[in-house]
Amino acid sequence: MKNYKSLKQVKLPRVGLILLFYLVFYGFLAALFTFTMWVMLQTLSSDIPKYRDRISSPGLMISPKPDTALEFYFNKSDAQSYAEYVSTLRKFLESYDDSKQSQNINCTPGRIFDQNDVAVKKACRFNLSELGQCSGKEDKTFGYSKGTPCVLVKMNRIIGLKPEGEPRIHCTSKEEGMVEINYFPPEGLIDLMYFPYYGKSLHAHYLQPLVAVQLAINSNSTKEEIAIECKILGSPNLKNEDDRDKFLGRIAFKVQMTE
Amino acid sequence: LLQKKSDVYSVEDLWDKRSRKTDIGDEEEKYKDLKGNKKKRRQKTLRKKWRTFYSLSFSLSFGIQDDHKLSASELEEKYGTSVNKGLSSARAAEILARDGPNSLTPPKATPEIVKFLKQMVGGFSILLWIGAVFSWISFGIQLAQGAESPFDNLYLGVVLALVVILTGIFAYYQEAKSTNIMASFSKMIPQQALVIRDAEKKELPADQLVVGDIVEIKGGDRIPADIRLIFTQGCKVDNSSLTGESEPQSRSCDFTHENPLETRNIAFYSTTCVEGTATGIVINTGDRTVIGRIASLTSGVGNEKTPIAIEIEHFVYLVAGVAISIGVLFFIISVSMRYKILDSIIFLIGIIVANVPEGLLATVTVSLSLTAKRMAKKNCLVKNLEAVETLGSTSIICSDKTGTLTQNRMTVAHLWFDNQIYSADTSEDQTTQPFDQSSPSWTALSKIVTLCNRAEFRPGQENLPIMKRVVVGDASETALLKFAEVILGDVMSIRARNRKVAEIPFNSTNKFQLSIHETDDPNDKRFLLVMKGAPERILERCSTIMINGKEEPLDSEKAEAFQTAYMELGGLGERVLGFCHLYLPEDEFPDTYPFDTDSMNFPTSNLCFVGLLSMIDPPRSTVPDAVSKCRSAGIKVIMVTGDHPITAKAIAKSVGIISATSETVEDIAKRLNIPVEQVNRREATAAVVNGMELKDMSLQQLDEILCNHSEIVFARTSPQQKLIIVEGCQRQGAVVAVTGDGVNDSPALKKADIGIAMGIAGSDAAKNAADMVLLDDNFASIVTGVEEGRLIFDNLKKTIAYTLTKNIAELCPFLIYIIASIPMPIGTITILFIDLGTDIIPSVALAYEKAESDIMNRRPRNKRKDRLVNEQLAVYSYLQIGIMQSVGAFITYFTVYAEQGFLPSTLLGVRVDWENNAINDFEDSYGQQWTKYQRMYLQWTGYTAFFVSITIQQVADLIIRKTRRNSIFQQGLFRNKVIWVGIFSQIGIALILTYGLGHVTALNFTPLRFQYWFVAVPFAILIWVYDEVRKLFIRRYPGSWWDKNMYY
Repeated sequence: MKNYKSLKQVKLPRVGLILLFYLVFYGFLAALFTFTMWVMLQTLSSDIPKYRDRISSPGLMISPKPDTALEFYFNKSDAQSYAEYVSTLRKFLESYDDSKQSQNINCTPGRIFDQNDVAVKKACRFNLSELGQCSGKEDKTFGYSKGTPCVLVKMNRIIGLKPEGEPRIHCTSKEEGMVEINYFPPEGLIDLMYFPYYGKSLHAHYLQPLVAVQLAINSNSTKEEIAIECKILGSPNLKNEDDRDKFLGRIAFKVQMTE
Repeated sequence: LLQKKSDVYSVEDLWDKRSRKTDIGDEEEKYKDLKGNKKKRRQKTLRKKWRTFYSLSFSLSFGIQDDHKLSASELEEKYGTSVNKGLSSARAAEILARDGPNSLTPPKATPEIVKFLKQMVGGFSILLWIGAVFSWISFGIQLAQGAESPFDNLYLGVVLALVVILTGIFAYYQEAKSTNIMASFSKMIPQQALVIRDAEKKELPADQLVVGDIVEIKGGDRIPADIRLIFTQGCKVDNSSLTGESEPQSRSCDFTHENPLETRNIAFYSTTCVEGTATGIVINTGDRTVIGRIASLTSGVGNEKTPIAIEIEHFVYLVAGVAISIGVLFFIISVSMRYKILDSIIFLIGIIVANVPEGLLATVTVSLSLTAKRMAKKNCLVKNLEAVETLGSTSIICSDKTGTLTQNRMTVAHLWFDNQIYSADTSEDQTTQPFDQSSPSWTALSKIVTLCNRAEFRPGQENLPIMKRVVVGDASETALLKFAEVILGDVMSIRARNRKVAEIPFNSTNKFQLSIHETDDPNDKRFLLVMKGAPERILERCSTIMINGKEEPLDSEKAEAFQTAYMELGGLGERVLGFCHLYLPEDEFPDTYPFDTDSMNFPTSNLCFVGLLSMIDPPRSTVPDAVSKCRSAGIKVIMVTGDHPITAKAIAKSVGIISATSETVEDIAKRLNIPVEQVNRREATAAVVNGMELKDMSLQQLDEILCNHSEIVFARTSPQQKLIIVEGCQRQGAVVAVTGDGVNDSPALKKADIGIAMGIAGSDAAKNAADMVLLDDNFASIVTGVEEGRLIFDNLKKTIAYTLTKNIAELCPFLIYIIASIPMPIGTITILFIDLGTDIIPSVALAYEKAESDIMNRRPRNKRKDRLVNEQLAVYSYLQIGIMQSVGAFITYFTVYAEQGFLPSTLLGVRVDWENNAINDFEDSYGQQWTKYQRMYLQWTGYTAFFVSITIQQVADLIIRKTRRNSIFQQGLFRNKVIWVGIFSQIGIALILTYGLGHVTALNFTPLRFQYWFVAVPFAILIWVYDEVRKLFIRRYPGSWWDKNMYY
C-alpha cells in the first residue's frame, strides 16, 4: 500500500509535467501553423488565384452526368428510367432561367467581352431558347420520351480564358448510322462573348455557355450501346487531343436506349 | 568390448571433471527455473554441449582404436606398409581415393540460397511483403470491378516487392563481402610433410598423406596427421592447442597409457613438435583425426545473438508495432467512417509504407561495414559485422597473457652484479641499454653472456633491427644473445675472436651450460671457462664472487646478498640465470691442452661468481596504457593464462591489470602476518586464482570471486577452464570478450559474446570459432576496437533518430487524409523515394561522425537499460521533430494548393469528389473547374512540394543529429565532411527527381516552382534552434527532468 502510494506520488507529477510540456509544445506549433497559414493567405488575392498554369485549357463536361461512369441507360417508354436525367437537367438549367438572368446583359455576339477595366463585371445573358428542343420548354422530358435524348455539353470555367477562332462542339459516333446528332445552338457554336471569365467573386452571375446535343437514335438501333465523343473544334488555343487527360476539350459517353 | 569401455571412461576423465560440476549447476538452475524459466534455454544448451562432449569421447576412442598398443611390426601388417620403404605410390593413391585428402572439412556453411532468403524475410521485409500482397489483392479486386486505373496498385505492389528484393540483395552482398575477407584470410600456405614412399624420402603437401604413410618429423614441424610414433629422439610436442597443457610433452615409442589421448607414442594432427625428431605411421587423416572431431564439434555449438542484433530486433519490433497498430487503428477508423474496405486496405498499405524506414537496415549494414573496415585497419578483423558493436558493449575482457599482453619473447629484464640490481630496457624497439656499464664486473659478465651461448642469428639479417632478427636457439639464449648484441655490438665476431675450445651444452641433470674459450687478449694465454645455469647450482660451484672487478671470497654475508637478490628477481616472476667464470692457469692448461667434456678434465668448482641475469616475457609497451583505458571505460580485464601464478601476477601488475595499490588475500595475510583464512576476503580487491583451485570450486564460489574482486588473474588454467570462467562472467550479466589461440579455446570463443582469435599465433579452429581476429595479437588493438564499437553504437542511434523522424512527416499526411478527407498530400511512391533516395547517403554519413566526448571515459552500456532505440529517442523523433517537420510540410502543401486556386477551407472533406474519375468539372475556390487529370497533376505537384519540404527539413534534421548533447558549434559543422556530401546528395537527388524526372508521370513528380523549396526553410531553422535549446538545457541541467526526458 505504501509502495503504491509513493509510486503514485512520484509518477503523477512526472506524467503531468509531460502532458503540460506537450500541451505547450503543440499549442505553440498550432499557433505557429495558424499564423503561417494566415500570412500565406494574406498574400493571396480573393479574386484571382495566384497561378493558373495547371489549367491552361478547359475540360469538357456533360449534364446530366450519370452516377456511374458516363453511360446513359434508359427505356424511352419508362419515365422512371430517365426521371433522374430529366430532373438533373431541370435543376442545372434553373440558373439559366430568364428570371435569374435579370441582371445579365445582352452582349455583342462573336466578340470577346473584355471587362478588364471595369470594376463590376457583368455577365452575358444566355437565352435558354438557344437550346431549342433541348431547352426543356416544349419537351419537359428533354426528348428522352421520344428517343431523342438531349445532353448538355459545357466547357469548364477558367479565369481569363479567351478562346481564339470560332469554338464549337462537334460530336461523332463510332457506330455510323445509328444516331443522328443535332446541335443547339446550331453547329454547336460557343459564342466568344461569354469570355473571359473573371472568377467567382467578381463575376458572380456568370453563366457558362452551353451546347445541347440531341441524339436522334434510330429506331432499329435500340438496345445497342452507342459511343459518342464530343470535341471542341475551331479554336487553336483549346486543346482536345491530350494523351493523358481524356476530358481536355473532349468527352466520351455512351447511350443505350430500350423501348 | 570391455577394453573399449575402459577407454571411454578414461577419455571422459580427460575431458575433465567439469561435466560433474555442470550437473550440479544444472540442478541449481532447475531450482531457479521455479521462479522464472529464463535460464531454461541456457541450461538446455549446456546439457547439449556436454552430451556432445560425451559422444565425442566415445568416438575419439573408437577412432584411434588400439594402435598405440600394437608393436611396429603389427602396425606394418595392419596398414600394409613398411617402416623402411613406406607405401608404394600406387597404394597411397588408392587409399587417398578411398579416404579423401588429409585436410579438415571447413565447417558446414549455411547454403547461400538460405542466407539470401533470410535477407528477404528479415526485418521489415515481412511488413513490406504484406503491403505488396495487399496492393495486388486490391489490384485484383479493382480489375474485377472494372475500375479505371487499377494498375496503380499493381505497380505499387511491384515497387514494394522490388524494394524488399533489392535491399535484400544489398544486405546479402554486404554480408558476402565481409565473409569473403575472412575466407581469403584463412587460406593458409599449404603445409609440407616429409614422407617415405617407394623407399624414398619425399616432400609432399600434407593433404596428400594417407593412412599407413611413414612420416618424419623434426623440431618446429607441425604434426601433419595423427601419428603412431615408431622411432623418436628427444622428441617433445606442444599439445597446448589440443589439451591445453602448456608444457611441452615428451614423446617416445612406448605404450604408456591405456588411453590413446594420454599415451606417449601418439602425436596428434595440428600440434607442433617442439624439439627432437621422430618417425611414425599415419593412423588417422583429415576429419578422422582427433582435432578433426573437435573441430566438427565446435562448429555445432550455436552462436548466441549479438547485442546489436538484439537491439535491431527490438527496434524492428518497435517500429513494426507502431506501424501495425496505427495501420489497424486507422483501418478501423476508416471502415467506421464508411470508407470502402478496398480504400481502407489501400490506406493501410500507405500507413505501413510510411512507417517502415525501408532504407534503414541497409544503412545500418553499411555503417557497420564501414566501421569493420576501419577496425581492420587497426588490426581488428571482424568476421561478423554485428560483432563490431558487441566489442563496444564489452564489459569484461578475458585476455590471454602470452603474446597478447606480452611480447611473446624472453627479454633480459634485470641484472645483479656488484651487489646491486640493475634494470634493463624491455621495450620492443630497444637500441641501447641505459644501466651503468662502467663496472669491470659488467665487462666480465658481458663476456660470459656473449660466450656461454649457443644461439646465433640467422645470416642475412644485418639490416634488420636487432630485436626483429630471427635467432636459432632457445628462448633464454635468444634473449641473452640479443641483449649482448644491443650492448656490445657484433657478438659473432667477439665469439670468433674468443675461439671456443670445448663446450658442455645445458642439460636437465647438470642444470648448467659451460664452455671454454681462448681469450682475445694476445698477451693473455690463459683459457677462460664460462658457465651459466640455475643460480643456486652455479653458486654451489663458486668460492669467490666478483665485486667491482675484484674477486672476493664468497662468505655467508655475500651469499645472503645473493639469496636476497635471487628471491627478489624470482618474486617478479622472472627466470633467473647465474653466471660465473674462471681463468684457467696457463701452466696447468697450456695451449695444446686436450679438453675432454666427457671426463671433464678441467675444474668445475671453486669458480668466481660474477652475476645474475633475469628474463621475462615483457608486456607489450602499449598494453599498460590500453589496460588503463579499459579501466576508465569501465571494462574489467581478467587475465587467463597457463603460466605460473607468480609470473602471471608480476605481468598483471606491470600492465596494470592488478593496480599498484591493490592487494590479494595472500598479500594482506602476509602484511598483517595472519593466516590466509583469517583475512576478510572482501578487503582484497585483487585475486590470483590458480587453475588447481578453480578445479575444486563450485559455481557459487567462482561467482563470488568474479563478483567481489575487481582485479582477477587466473593462472595455470587449462583452455577448458576458460569456458567455465566465460560462463561465470556471463552469469554476472556481462558482455564478455575472450581471446584465444588454441584449438581447445574454440568452445570458449564460441561461448563468449565476442570471441577474439589471434591472427599470428591462432590456430585455424580458433579463428573459425571467433567473431573477430586480432591481426597483430596485441591487446591494445582490442581497446581501439572497443572504442570503434562504442562510437558506432552512438552513431547508429543518430542514424536511426534521423531516419525515424521523417516517418512521422510521411505518416501524418495519411492520417489527415483519412480524417479530414483532403487530397492526398504525399504518395506512397514518393515516400519510397525519400526513404531509399534522398535519405540514404545522409544517414550513412552519420556513421562518420566523431565522438562527442571521450567515449572511453564512460561505463560500458547496460544491455538491459541502454537500448539502441529508447523511449526518449522514439518520442523525441516521432512526437517532436517529426511533428515539426509535418507542420512545415503541410504549410508547403497548403501553399501550393492555395496558390493554384484551392484554399484550405475548400480542401477539407473533398476527397471523394476529388478522386472521382467521372467528375471533370470540379470547382475550386475561385469558381474555376478542373478535370480529374488536372486535379491529379496538381496533387502530384503537392506530392513534390511535400517531398521537397521533408527533404529540406531533413537537412536540418541531419545537422541536429550530429550531436546528442553538445552544441553543433562544439562539434564543428565541417569536421565531418561526409555529412556535407550527404546534404548535397540529398538536395541533388531531390532536384533531379523534381526537374529531371518531373515529366515521368509514373513517378508522380512534377516540376515545382522554385519558391516552394523555401517554404519549409523557416521550419528547418526552427528545428535546428529548438534542438540547440534542448541540448543547452541538457548540458546546463544534468539529471533534471528535461535531461531525463529529452536526452536519447
